[in-house]
This record gives sequence, structure tokens and C-alpha cells, in this order.
Amino acid sequence: MDKKRGIYIHMPFCVQKCRYCAFLSFNAEGSPRKEYTDALEKEIKLRAAFEKENGTDKPIDTIYIGGGTPSVMDISSMSEMVKTLRRSFEVDPGAEFTLEANPATLGRKDGVMLAKLQAYKFMGVNRLSMGVQSMDNDRLHFLGRIHTAENVARDMDIIRRKGFDNVNLDLMFSIPGESGDDALDDLDKIIAFSPEHISCYSLQIEEGTPFGKMAEEGELIEVSDEEDRETFHRICRRLREAGYEHYEISNFARKGDDPDAPSPYRSKHNSLYWNMDEYIGLGLGASGFINGVRYKNTSDLNEYLSALGEGRLPVAEEHKNTAFDNISEAVFTGLRRREGISYKDAVLAYMEADDAEERDPDSADDFRECFWEIFAEAKEEAFGYAERGLLIIDNEGLKLTEQGIDISNSIMSLFV
Amino acid sequence: MSYLDNIRNFSIIAHIDHGKSTLADRLIEKTGLVEARDMKEQYLDNMDIERERGITIKLQTTRLQYKAKDGQDYILNLIDTPGHVDFNYEVSRSLAACDGAVLVVDATQGVEAQTLGNVYLALDEDLEILPVLNKMDLDSARPDDARAEIENIIGLDASEAPEISAKTGMGIDEMLEKLIEVIPPPQGDPDGKLKALIFDSYYDSYKGVIIYTRIFDGRVKRGDTIRMMNTGKNYEVTEVGYCIPGTVPAEELKAGEVGYICGSIKQVADARVGDTITLANAPTDAPLKGYKKAQSMVYCGIFPAEGEKYENVKDALEKLQVNDAAFNFEPENSAALGYGYRCGFLGLLHMDVITERLAREFDLDVITTLPSVVYKVVMKDGQVLDIQNPSNLPAPALIAHIEEPIVKADIMTPNEYVGSIMTLCQNRRGNMVHMEYLTKTRVQLHYEMPLNEVIYDFFDALKSRTRGYASLDYEFLRYQPAKLVKLDILLNREPIDALSTIVPEEEAMAKGRGICEKLKEIIPRHQFEVPIQAAIGQKIIARETVRAYRKDVLAKCYGGDITRKKKLLEKQKAGKKRMRQFGSVTVPQEAFTEVLKLDDGR
Repeated sequence: MDKKRGIYIHMPFCVQKCRYCAFLSFNAEGSPRKEYTDALEKEIKLRAAFEKENGTDKPIDTIYIGGGTPSVMDISSMSEMVKTLRRSFEVDPGAEFTLEANPATLGRKDGVMLAKLQAYKFMGVNRLSMGVQSMDNDRLHFLGRIHTAENVARDMDIIRRKGFDNVNLDLMFSIPGESGDDALDDLDKIIAFSPEHISCYSLQIEEGTPFGKMAEEGELIEVSDEEDRETFHRICRRLREAGYEHYEISNFARKGDDPDAPSPYRSKHNSLYWNMDEYIGLGLGASGFINGVRYKNTSDLNEYLSALGEGRLPVAEEHKNTAFDNISEAVFTGLRRREGISYKDAVLAYMEADDAEERDPDSADDFRECFWEIFAEAKEEAFGYAERGLLIIDNEGLKLTEQGIDISNSIMSLFV
Repeated sequence: MSYLDNIRNFSIIAHIDHGKSTLADRLIEKTGLVEARDMKEQYLDNMDIERERGITIKLQTTRLQYKAKDGQDYILNLIDTPGHVDFNYEVSRSLAACDGAVLVVDATQGVEAQTLGNVYLALDEDLEILPVLNKMDLDSARPDDARAEIENIIGLDASEAPEISAKTGMGIDEMLEKLIEVIPPPQGDPDGKLKALIFDSYYDSYKGVIIYTRIFDGRVKRGDTIRMMNTGKNYEVTEVGYCIPGTVPAEELKAGEVGYICGSIKQVADARVGDTITLANAPTDAPLKGYKKAQSMVYCGIFPAEGEKYENVKDALEKLQVNDAAFNFEPENSAALGYGYRCGFLGLLHMDVITERLAREFDLDVITTLPSVVYKVVMKDGQVLDIQNPSNLPAPALIAHIEEPIVKADIMTPNEYVGSIMTLCQNRRGNMVHMEYLTKTRVQLHYEMPLNEVIYDFFDALKSRTRGYASLDYEFLRYQPAKLVKLDILLNREPIDALSTIVPEEEAMAKGRGICEKLKEIIPRHQFEVPIQAAIGQKIIARETVRAYRKDVLAKCYGGDITRKKKLLEKQKAGKKRMRQFGSVTVPQEAFTEVLKLDDGR
């Protein structure tokens, strides 16, 4: 199978941390941002050299710079880093190159913003992902976001003017105090920008965040699961009506000219994660999956910097996937896609691992049989979910129904 | 002078926590048998569970050598006794092997319910009792009060009771001198016909059953053929010896001595505690008195948990039985839990010990069902059935009446807790027989109470209401008619046999409601509503609903961290393994034992 390969780069800095955020990020001001991009360049070179030595280097199909807020990084160091990236890896000319940006971080003056966007274009960025989250200023403030709804409108205007024609906007729902109607209102405002891609996800209160603490102390009343799911399904309906394809649990892409074909605006990079494709993770806490090995970089900034200072890859965990790991991951990540997972892809993922038992399926029936042999224990329960209309099991493979998404973890956990 | 004059056979009796095991340790150390550095804390308590709970369940016996101030060497046979009400019979047989007992009283606590119970057992065996005051190293020791209690409550002269600290070793020499003086040497005729008491036995995988014995008359050596007088079985003796501790072979054992006998005996049930050993070719006239067959008071079901093999459970139970004559089991088939075993125990602690050992020593994952007592069900046709499994209760129309076991419960407590204990006992259908002031501040309450009420967390409830100060002793009294009904629990409208219980009719409603509420807490949300119902026959008396859960989804897979997501899913799956599937309802295994822990201030 010809695998695609992507690169993910993590930028762990933000103007300020949002009150719900449990992810790896530091306040940009006062953090060693320059040292960080220098270290990243070293990691890029080490990683590339490592792949070359192994003879496993391959062209790169997607690049994704995420965070944190990558748009708070100095343009000068970003551009150096991207140059190093392009020198070290062979990046396909048609590669999708996404940059995450937050509203109000691309420059206060229009001129600055236009110039910054131009610089990103030079670097090759052709897709922007904006963390809008809400279009209501009270809710934005409550979340601890630094931007307003007006900022979003202005940013979108300049982004479009600059010719970015592949933009994702994030929408968050089930914010405490928000009704389903409020969330739909936000969605309508977002749809009005006609972004090519919309990610919708419900707020999760995580331990160790200011919101987590508030919830513990009873100062924050979470939206009930029932309301949350109702809103989710309303969002799905609205987006469908607006011409978006619901292609992954939380992701929607605007349809292209052919309404029956898959949308051309699906995130190619994120799709790697759901297809058992390969990706190189670079930066603090980044994960990668390459040559059958899953790895994760250290999440300790000092350790990250010192490892690269000593010329070592900052890998903290490494795991060589077994055949069962492969098929299990293929199934649970594949089930995130609305088109689901085919028996064939799942079994092929299985057979890729070194320890796979000798199997020789060649017909669709063989793949199906082989699949259910491996998951014999899960079969009865899986068909139980199917009977309840949560999962579709046919001759090709399995996929979740829209109702099945609500309890997708229970279904996925059958296959681990 | 006879060799008998230099032997003392004695036990230490005490309430739990009063320091019996520590004292035993100190004696072993003092008499130089075990180097101090080899001493595990509390040498005689050799099971983990005992060590953790600070109580002794399994007997250990030790032969100590002591050079007294009179210049003579004495053999002191310390026969340890279990310290819990479940093992009264075993205690009484151990005491029967002795000529005296050291009564350890905690000088900070005074006399407690079990102290008295054990003293009475010792008096029944005609033992001289030497009271000693322990924990004298503590500031809170009040020896005068303790002495007064011993004199007033027990009636022993405590004026000369040695003051010791088993912990620090203080006063141990004085105590040993006093012991030799107070406790009489054994009597017996070494040339008479063999008459020996089995007071303990355990299974050794090399030697077979090792019998701990006290020889009353005669002698026994390797090659003799011995007979168990109550079971009538004969065995050839392969080894005799002393417990120093461990087993050290000797030429012979003779009258007055304490030691062990091996004879290729396959399980401890064949060398039952209390049985009398004699020689097959020259038997003594009559066995020693006091032999009783073990009687199970409490039963529960033990089933392999999800993923555990039935055979593994069977093997483990068989191995435990080899070493525990009081434990019995038979196959049981539950519609809810599948194939398992119905097991009988002496009491609740005994049950806890066995189930813990299954988990620890055998690494088994088992589900234990609610404990039950044995009911006598008198049928309309005059038949009387012993029913200990609620599922086997015949249809109400066929039953004339049901009788339940009643125990005599003695509770000793500081007087300020009398009120709350009386409320507790009343709520547990207890009848107060009488109450006495042992001292100005200590009260003993005598209750008659259904055993059924004692086996569910009564002891915990008692302790929590009295900040741990009250103590309990109980023993079986009689069977008594009661209005009892079978309470069934239905999940998603399916009865779950393993959750059925037999309860007093008047309490059925409250119990049913309590169980439903508890299950509602324990049962996780499903993708559909799960009604939980309590029913008597066809009649639903309580209902709760576990609401359907609606959401179990991770919206984002950040930065491709598949491994993190996978760990979450694996955890979810592992959590499910601890669950039991009933039709479409998933129930955590702890539901079966947690459900009746309803100490909601009753």
C-alpha cells in the first residue's frame, strides 16, 4: 500500500492560555521562542538524516504547524525553520500546508497582517485553521480567548483578500451557560464566512484547568450530555443543509462542484491520522508514526532543548506496533471517518506488521472472514450495536451512524 | 521428681489488639529460639491477612526453653489460640490441650467482651489463669482500673498480676517466673494407653497433614499405627517431633508433652480438631470429651469472574479445604453468574479470610455473593428443609413457616454508647435480654438477635457508633420462626438470582428501596434506560432507573496522538472486564457484595 506521509510541527506558545485548555502551551511573552525554533531546526535535520540513513525517506504530502498558537511566532524564525524543513525533506509541490492561527494574532494593523500572510504564502502555507470557537463576545471572554467576534470578521476579510482559499474555522459548543440555540447562532455566523472547512467540538472540562477547578468547586455548571448531543445533531443537520460534508466525527468540509464526490476540502493532514498513514512529529510533545513505530517527544521544554543541544532526538516514548496494534488502531481511527473502515484496509494494516500471522486473503469475503477471526471476541457486541442502529456492518466493513458517534468510544473500545 | 514437673502447657488469651501476638513474639525472642534479627513482627501470625488485621486465625504452637531463677530448665509449650468469635470451637480445643492460660489485658482498655468469652472457655477446661497487664509502657495505661475490672468482672485475683509491655519486653522475666509458679505441670501416665488430643492440623505438601497434639496418656513413635477415635480411621505414623517452631523430629512423644505427628494423611478433615488419637492395637477406653463437627453458620456463592476459569476456582477451593476442615463447598449453578460454588463458613471473618486468600494466594478473580444464613423451612407437608441459598426457597404457597437462626450477642461498651447501641440492635431486630453494669463506666448488653442481622456489617456499624470501643461476642442459640420473604431484584425486568435475599417481611420495602438505590449508584449508565426493581413474588415494591447515557465520544485526536487515545480506549475496555453482562445490562462485579452494605445510620 502506498502510504502518504505528513509532518506535524508543534508550537507550544500562546498569547495567553484559555481557561479550558489542558494542552501543552506556554505564554509566548518571556518564553524561549527563538531557542525553541533553533532546536526545532536541529530536530528537523536529525530526523531527516535518520530517515536517510535508514533508507526510509519519502516525499512529504502534508505539513501541519499546530499549537499553541503558531501565529505568535516571529515570522523571521518561522521562515528559517520552514526553509530548513524544505531543505531537509522532499516536500511534494502539491503538498497541503496548514498553519493554525488564532484571530487577533496575525497583526493589529491591516498592513502588518497582509505582510504576515504574504510571508506565510512565501513559506508555502496554503491552508489556514482559525480558532474562532464562538461568535459571541461574552462567551469568548468567558473562555479566556483574547479575540472578539469583530476580530474574526476583519481577519477573515483580510485572509480572503490575500487569496487564501482553504480555511478552516473551529467552533466550540456546550460552553457552560450556552443554549442549543446560542450554539446554532454561532454556527450560522461562521457559515456566513463560507469557510471551506469547519471543525465542531463540544467543550470538555479537563482536570487541572481553571474550568476543571471551577467545576470541582461547583462554580461551573456543565451542559448536560443530553443537551450536548442534541446540539451536536442540530449542528450536523444545519451543516448538511449548508452544503458541508460530515466526513469525520468533528469535521465538516464544503462540497466541491460534484456534490456526490468527496469534498476536495477535507483536511489531508488530519486524514493521515485516520488512515494509518505515516507522519513525522516534530517539536515539544509531538507524536509520530513512522515505519511501523509510534513515538512521542518529551513534553518537558528544558529536556527538549537540552536533548537537541546534545544532538539527540528528544523522543520520550517509542513503541513498535504489533500486527494487532495496527489493525486495532486502523479500526478505531478509521471509525472516526464517516465512511468507516473497510475489512480490507484493516486486514492490510494487520499484515503490514512484522509479527503478522501468515494470511492470504484475496477476495472481499476473505478479508471479512479474516477481520472477524481477529475480532471474534468483539463480534457479538458489535452486532448488538448494529441492531440498535449505532453501527453499520456490511460486506465491505463497518461505519458509525450519526447516533453511533455519541457513544463512539464504547464501540471503538471493542477493538482494542 | 518426674519430667512432667518441668513442663508447662499454656495458652495466651486476649481480646483482639490486646497484644497477644506481640507477647508471643517476645517470649520466643526471650527464650532464644529465634534470633531477634530473624523475627518478623509477630512471628506466630504467619498469614498475611492475619498480619494486616492484627489478629490470629490459624493456630501456631511453639516449644520454648526457659531457665528459671530456681536453676531448673523448663519446657514451656505455648499453644496459640485464634482470637475471633468465629473460631470458638478451635479456641476451646486449644485450651483443652493446656493446663493454664495467660490472660492478657490491655491496661489502657481494660476487659472486653471477647476477653470474657475466652476466659469462660478457659474456665470450662479447668485452666489456671494468670492475668497480666500489658501495654504498661503507654502513658494512657491505668493498671489500677484494669486490675479492678479483672477482679470485678472476671473474678480473678489480679493483685499480683505482672505488669508488662510486650512491645518493649518490660516485665517478661517476672511474668515467666509467675507462670511457672501459677500454672500447674501436666498430669498423665506415660505407660498408659495412648490418649492424645488433636488441637490443630495443617497440610504440608511433603509430609501430608501435620497434626498438633497434646499427649494425655501413653506414648507414640514412628511406625505406630494410630487411630482417630471419632472418624475411626487408621494411619501409620511416619514422624513425630516438637514444634520449636517449625517441625523438629524426635524419638517419641509421651504423656504431658506437646508436639506433632505425621502419618501420610491427605486432608485436614481426616485429622479433625478435637478428635482423640490412640493406638490401633491398644486403644484407650474412651475418647476425650468435647469433639464437635464443624458447622457452617454463614454461606455465600463464589463464582469465577469474567475471564476466570471455573477449574482454577475449583482447584483453589480444594487446596484451601485440605487445610481448613471448617470450610466446605459444593457446586452451584446461578442463572446470572453461571457455574460456581456454594461455600460454608464458620462466620463472616472466616468467609473474608477465604475470599481474600483466593485473591492473594491464588491470584483469582472471583465474585462473592451476599452472605446468607441457614434457614429451616417447614413445609406444609411437614418436611423441614435447610435452605441457605435464597434461590432455592420453595414457592410461598408450599411453606408452612420459616425459622431463622438466633444468636446470643454480648456487647461490652463504655456506658456513653449504650443509647446508640440499643438503637442499632433494635433496628437489627435484636431483643435485649438484660444489661449489666460491670463497673461504673462499663456496661455489658445481652441481646438475642437473628444471625442474619449480624452477618451484614453489624460489626462495622457497632464500631462506627462507638468509635471502636464496643466489642462483640456471639454464639448460636436456637432456631426461631420469623416472617420472612424472598426479595428479588430485577434488572431491565430480568430477575438476577444472585441478588436475591431473604428478608423480614416488615423490612422488605425499606431493604428493597435501599438495594435499588445502591444499585443505581453502582450500575454505570447504558445506552438505554435500565429499570432496577425490587419484587416480592410478582409484586414490585421499589423501583429506580439508571438513565441512559448519551455521550461517550472524544471530539478531537490532538496532533495525531493515537497512543493516548488508544490508552483511553484500553482503559475503558479493561473497566468493562470487571463487569458482568446480564442480557444487555452490564453490572460491576462489586455490586454483588456491595449491595447490602446499607449502613445508612440504621
